[in-house]
Amino acid sequence: MKLLEEARHAHLCGVTRRHFLKTCGTGLGAIAFASLGGCTPGLAPSASKMGAMDPLAQRSPHFTPTAKRVIFLHMAGGPSPLELFDYKPTLARLDGEQCPDSLLEGKRFAFIRGVPKMLGPQASFQQYGESGAWISHHLPHFSQVVDHVAFLKAMHTDEFNHAPAQLLVQTGSPRLGRPSMGAWVTYGLGTENENLPAFVVLLSGGVAPDAGASVYGSGFLPTVYQGVQCRSKGDPVLFLSNPDGLPSDLRRQSIDAITQINRQQYEAAGDPEILTRIAQYEMAFRMQTSVPEAMDIHKEPPYIHDMYGTEPGVTSFANNCLLARRLVERGVRFVQLFHWGWDSHGAGASEALNVGFVDRCRETDQPVTALLRDLHQRGLLDETLVIWGGEFGRTPMLENRSGLDNPFVGRDHHSDAFTMWLAGGGVKGGITHGETDEIGYAGIRGRVHVHDLQATILHLLGFDHERLTYPFQGRDFRLTDVHGAVVRNVIA
Amino acid sequence: MHMNKAAYSLVAGLVFLFIQLLSVSETGHPSDASLFFGRFHPLLVHLPIGILLIAALLELVTRLQWWGTFNKAVTALLFVGAWSAILAAIAGLYLAQGGGYDPPTLLWHKRLGVVIAILASATYPLKVWTNSTVRPPTKALKRGYAGSVAALVFGIALAGHFGGELTHGDGYLTRYMPDGIRNLVGLPDKEDIGRLQLDDPSEATTYAALIQPILDSRCIACHRADLAKGGLMLDTPEGLIEGGDDGPVIIAGRAEESELIHRIWLPLTSGDHMPPADRPQVTVAEAEMLRWWINQGASLEETLAEAEMTDIIQTILDEIGLDEIRTGIFALDISPPDSQDVAALASLGVVVTPLAEEEPFLQVRCTDPEACGNDEELAPALRALSANIAWLDLGRTEANDALLATIADLPHLTRLHLEKTAVTDAGLPHLGQLEYLEYLNLYGTAVGDDGLQHLSSLPALRALYLWQTNVTEAGVENLKQALPKVDVNLGLTLTPTLSEDAEEENAE
Repeated sequence: MKLLEEARHAHLCGVTRRHFLKTCGTGLGAIAFASLGGCTPGLAPSASKMGAMDPLAQRSPHFTPTAKRVIFLHMAGGPSPLELFDYKPTLARLDGEQCPDSLLEGKRFAFIRGVPKMLGPQASFQQYGESGAWISHHLPHFSQVVDHVAFLKAMHTDEFNHAPAQLLVQTGSPRLGRPSMGAWVTYGLGTENENLPAFVVLLSGGVAPDAGASVYGSGFLPTVYQGVQCRSKGDPVLFLSNPDGLPSDLRRQSIDAITQINRQQYEAAGDPEILTRIAQYEMAFRMQTSVPEAMDIHKEPPYIHDMYGTEPGVTSFANNCLLARRLVERGVRFVQLFHWGWDSHGAGASEALNVGFVDRCRETDQPVTALLRDLHQRGLLDETLVIWGGEFGRTPMLENRSGLDNPFVGRDHHSDAFTMWLAGGGVKGGITHGETDEIGYAGIRGRVHVHDLQATILHLLGFDHERLTYPFQGRDFRLTDVHGAVVRNVIA
Repeated sequence: MHMNKAAYSLVAGLVFLFIQLLSVSETGHPSDASLFFGRFHPLLVHLPIGILLIAALLELVTRLQWWGTFNKAVTALLFVGAWSAILAAIAGLYLAQGGGYDPPTLLWHKRLGVVIAILASATYPLKVWTNSTVRPPTKALKRGYAGSVAALVFGIALAGHFGGELTHGDGYLTRYMPDGIRNLVGLPDKEDIGRLQLDDPSEATTYAALIQPILDSRCIACHRADLAKGGLMLDTPEGLIEGGDDGPVIIAGRAEESELIHRIWLPLTSGDHMPPADRPQVTVAEAEMLRWWINQGASLEETLAEAEMTDIIQTILDEIGLDEIRTGIFALDISPPDSQDVAALASLGVVVTPLAEEEPFLQVRCTDPEACGNDEELAPALRALSANIAWLDLGRTEANDALLATIADLPHLTRLHLEKTAVTDAGLPHLGQLEYLEYLNLYGTAVGDDGLQHLSSLPALRALYLWQTNVTEAGVENLKQALPKVDVNLGLTLTPTLSEDAEEENAE
């Protein structure tokens, strides 16, 4: 029934406008345009080149924000907090002991079967900074910037498999079909730079996110808000260059003609997807010059390359960190990085806590630290929220794949406790929120659910997460759906 | 009944009432017997209300000759009513001994109760005389009688209202009154009930805004300067700190060890529970606020803006209307920008957006360097919105010292981006008067130590970015002496050589 009503409403929006234009003549077309707001839900846009029709025009949030932009460093695979931030000396003492039944009762694991052994921290820890944060020896660079960071030590999620857990973190739901966080933010705030995509996605680690492009998709929001994947090698955006033999001015003329036809179609049908199409054509044309400029890191001075550990021309997490800085510097609203390879089961060398995991730390430690410092010295960290974390944590138990010993040391997926951190954009630096038990198995204080994190991120951007909604299939949807509480402790 | 005997019995009752009035004291510990009798007050008090009002009603019916004459019934009712009023008043005096009632309301209720007892006792003989067949009543007598009946009705209504406020608390009657009527009688709208009304929220101390009101509503009926049960006076901060006969009631920083908190959480059946079980209780939200304030150090000076909120306290404050404490420019009363001025500024190639919905302040960002380096057009457009511009981003444009003279006229600026522009030391004196400026980005400009001195007059400045400028460590030290709280960023120790920097500039 709701679906029918929605279809009828959409139909009426179109019919009324057509009827109105036909009867009253084109002079009143402008008035009809003013009624668009009723049929294209959204917030009031600012003045921009496309006027009220621009779905990416910069908009105001609900209250004055402390963060204007976001860089989300998604460590895909679920990095182990027990080897990075969550120092558990008790777990070291229990190393090799049989896991007691009380920890296993009623729990489900992705791979552990039967009774596993406990696994002590595979790292040595020390305290750093004025805040005295515990950091493992795997992160020698990051240990120098801990006073910029707020740790969420007792994160928890509902899912223990990669794809649904990644979807939950990025879209608020473990199932496909919801808009991603970047899409919501772009829908709410529009773009600061008309010449670049508002929401850029950068992948590294050799494997795309398990949940596919849905983790940066637009779901039921207009597709203009979906993440645009850019590559640090070859053409930054695929299918953007003009075909051989097609001069730029001819391309311009053809886009103008297409836009004119599209506008007529929009006036008749009122479908917001047509506005998306117009905006995409225009942006693609502008991006032909602006994206190669923004994505070209050759021109960065040598000391910047030294700082990040970047190497132009390859696909790497370091390059993506440097690109993230260049993009937020140019006003890109949301930069989403995914770096695969943190799935440290121990079934092979590349996913062993003492081999592959160490490589991941080495690949990310210097660039992440450089990113925070570089943003800070440019005055960008103050208004850019940086988020680091995976989709879940890892068990304090040694993984016994299907009850058998693994050839390498590793841990299984764990949804009850993991660490994420926030920095910049109005976040209090040098604090730790939440605490896990003495073996890092479950949060005992300051637990933060994935939905709470999302509510907090939206809050820093100036949104009441309960009011940033979009009507779909008969009800208003939001990123946190019916959950989420802002973690006020981490807000400066 | 014989008139004289009846009247004399009332006089005797009144005399007894006066003796009680003089002898029953509200200080000290009342005996169980007197409290036992006192608790019959709520029961007894409805007798005179009902009886005397019926008497007045029958008197009216008689005069209007609706159903006949009820003179004898009125006479009898006035007598019984007068006696019940005397008994109710005496019981009330005993009940008041238990303490814990709002003093001014109690005083008025008590006065009116005694007046009603006297008035009712006087109305009875007046009624008898007006009915006398021996001596026909004079006009004055008739008028006097009518007046005293009217006064009784009025007095009962008023005393009943005060009694209701004592039992159910202030505003019981008007709690669900429609807003239209509330406004007529000068009350605030319903949704504002229970919400904090602070003159200057940014200056209000936690103690004055949140803590003293709890003590005022729950404690000071007994624990105030002129009563001081248990030697404890909670009507002033000094009294709260000093404590009672048994020592201090709060220990700063340790709520769980503080007597005040103990007493609130004792079971209601405990004799030590406070407030006493039959008095309005401290709510859970109030108890949590007290606990939080004591654990925060029980400061009398800390303002709400400075206080460190917990999730639960913030939740409570959101509900009672302290969801945001507006400080800085947000405490100012600024009218929204003129839409034509906004359009004029936007036409110059800058993006102009309100900071937030329903906020008069604007953020202005130039994304096209060629469009907004032009001072001649930009300056008047900015000046037209001078009161509204809070964030101005002219980074990476051709903005120069001349434009800074315009920026000096934007008094409400809080964030200013001038990185990688042509500004120099010569322009910085213009920024010296921006009293709300918190964030200033000058990285990649030609400013140096000389210009930096002019920034020492910026009281709100907290973040200053000076990477790739001519500013030295010594210059920063100088500034820090004037502004110790400002976070100055000179960039990494890996300071680039000029040639490398120029290389990047040329490449871009």
